[in-house]
Amino acid sequence: MNIPATTAFSGFTSISTPPAKSFLPPPNNEKLAIAVDDWRIYTTHNPILNSVELDKVTESIGIPMPEMIFGNNGFRLLHEPSGWEITFDALNAVDGVDKTGDRDGLLKVSCSQDWLKSRQKRELESKISGVVKPFDWTYSVAYSGNVTPSPNNTNQISFEVTEERIPIDKLKRPDPILFFDNMILYEDELSDNGSSVLDIKIRVMPERLLLLCRFFLRIDGVLFRIRDSRTYIEFKTGEVIREFQTQEATYESLRKKIPSYVEDYGVYLRDPNWVSQHIPIQSVMCEKAIIT
Amino acid sequence: MPGLLLANFDLDECIERLYNKELLPEIVVNALCSKVKELLIKESNVVHIQSPVTVVGDIHGQFHDLLEIFKIGGPCPDTNYLFLGDYVDRGLFSVETITLLVCLKLRYPSRINLIRGNHESRGITQTYGFYTECLRKYDSANVWMYFTDMFDFLTLSVVIDNSIFCVHGGLSPTIHSIDQIKVVDRFKEIPHEGPMADLVWSDPDDTKSDFSLSPRGAGYTFGIEIVKKFLYMNNMHHILRAHQLCQEGYQVLFDNRLSTVWSAPNYCYRCGNLASVLEVKDNGERFFNVFDAAPENGEHTMMLFNPEQKSQSLFAQPQPVEYFL
Repeated sequence: MNIPATTAFSGFTSISTPPAKSFLPPPNNEKLAIAVDDWRIYTTHNPILNSVELDKVTESIGIPMPEMIFGNNGFRLLHEPSGWEITFDALNAVDGVDKTGDRDGLLKVSCSQDWLKSRQKRELESKISGVVKPFDWTYSVAYSGNVTPSPNNTNQISFEVTEERIPIDKLKRPDPILFFDNMILYEDELSDNGSSVLDIKIRVMPERLLLLCRFFLRIDGVLFRIRDSRTYIEFKTGEVIREFQTQEATYESLRKKIPSYVEDYGVYLRDPNWVSQHIPIQSVMCEKAIIT
Repeated sequence: MPGLLLANFDLDECIERLYNKELLPEIVVNALCSKVKELLIKESNVVHIQSPVTVVGDIHGQFHDLLEIFKIGGPCPDTNYLFLGDYVDRGLFSVETITLLVCLKLRYPSRINLIRGNHESRGITQTYGFYTECLRKYDSANVWMYFTDMFDFLTLSVVIDNSIFCVHGGLSPTIHSIDQIKVVDRFKEIPHEGPMADLVWSDPDDTKSDFSLSPRGAGYTFGIEIVKKFLYMNNMHHILRAHQLCQEGYQVLFDNRLSTVWSAPNYCYRCGNLASVLEVKDNGERFFNVFDAAPENGEHTMMLFNPEQKSQSLFAQPQPVEYFL
C-alpha cells in the first residue's frame, strides 16, 4: 500500500465557496443553453488550451497543467432576478490542487519502490538534480464550483449545513429532460499510471436541475478516489442543495469486487459509474440556501 | 477466402482489405505477426535510415486519421515513413491500425520503420483499451497475444542521416552514447525501470536543465543541458520524439534541438487538438505538415453512443440524454 499515513485531506472542507478567479480572457463563445423559470444555463465548449495559453496559466497557477486541460470550457448557472450565480471551470478547479504536496501528502505510482531501488543500485544520484518541484500530480480536487454573490447585495444569500439530502425520488421520476450536457474540465493519464478526470454532467427538467461535478482518480495498483459535488436546484422554491461526497478504496480491494468470471477486468476499473457504486463512502455533507 | 490462406497469404489483398476497414481473420493475423517478427529480429536497437522520410507520432488507434496521414503525406511506398510508436490503445481502431502497419512493414520493409512506444506493452494495453478491443472484435485474446508478442521485437530508436536521433519518449540517465542503446536486450516486455523504460517513457522539461525525477515517484524528465551533451557526444543535431499531446500538433524545444511530433488529431475524439507529421527532406530541412481530424471520425464515433460499449464511456463527447444521479 502506498497511501501515506498523512492523508489528512478529507475532501470538501468548507461550505464557503470562493468566487471565480480569472486566469485567461473569457472565451467569446459562451452560449445560453437554456432558460427555464428564473434560471439561465450557459455553456462554453472549446478545445484544450494551446501552448501560449498553457504557458500563461502554468505560470499563474504554479504547477504543470494536466495533459488535457479544457481551460476555456465551463458552465454558468445564473439566477436572473438576483444575479446570483455558480460557475464551473477547469482553471479554478485546477487551482485547488495541492501545489506542494504538503497538504494532502504525495502518492507514488505502484512501481515506485522498484524504481527507487534500482536507482540507488546504479548510483545515479549524482546525475539527477532532484525531484521536479513536488505537487499533487494526481490532480485531486474537491471542486464544487465558484459562487458569485448577488451583485446588488439586497438579500444576503448564505448556505447552511443541513441534514437534508438531495431528493433522489424526484430525480428518479422520468420527467422530460429539457437540456443535457456533459463536459470534461481536465484529464490526465498520469503518464499511463492510471487516470485522473474532472468532468461535469447537467440535466435540466421542467421543475428542477441536477449538476454533478465528479473527480475520478485511478492509480493502477494503488487506489481509486471519487469526489462528487452535486448541485440541485428546485425552480419554484429557489431551493439550492449542494451535496459533497468523497469515496476512496485501494485498487486491490476494488478489483476483488469484479465477478471472477470476468476476463477483461479493465472494462470495470475504467468505468467511473461502476467504481462509484462499489467503493466505500468516506464522507457526505449537504448545504442549502434559498435563492430569491 | 482464397489467397488469404495461412502459408502464402497475399499481402496486397490484406492491405486492400484493411484500407476498406475490414478485419483480417485471426489465423492471418497470427501468420503476419510471425512473419514480421522474423524481419524485426534482424533490426538493431538503433536503425539507421536516410532522408527523405516522413515521421509520424502517436496514432492511438485513430485509424481514419492514419489513412488521412497517407493522403496528406503521400501513400506508402511512394513516401518513406518512420512511426514513433503508440499505435494502439484509446482510439476505437487499434486492431486495424496495427494490422495495417504490420502489413505495410512486411510488404515494403525498407520504406517503413516502426519504433516501439510505451503502449506497445502487455501491461499497458490491458488497461488502456487494446486488449478490450481485441476481445470484442475477435472474441478471444489470441490476437492480442500475437500482437503483444510481436511488440517485443520492435526497435527502440532510429537515426536519420547520422544526424537526427528518433525515439518514442526521450533520453535516459544511463545512456550517454548511442552505442549503449545497441547493447540493451530489447526482446522482452518493457521493464518498469532502466534504459529501455526511459527511452519510451521520459519527457523533456524546459524548466530544468538536467535529469529530474517525476513527483510520481517513477520516470525522468530531461532538460537542455542533457540534450546538448547527448547531441554533442553523438555528433548529432536533433532529437525527434512523440509521446506528448500538443494542441498545435507539434512542439519545438531547447533552441530547435528537440521536437515533439503528435499525430492523433482531436485526441480521444474530444480534445480538439491538431496533429502533424514531420517531413525530413533530403537537404535536412524539417517541415511540420499540420492536419485536422478526418471527417470519417464523425460517423464512427456515433458507435460510442452504443450503451453496450460500456468501457468506452469515457471517450464519448456528446452523450445521449442520461438520467444520472
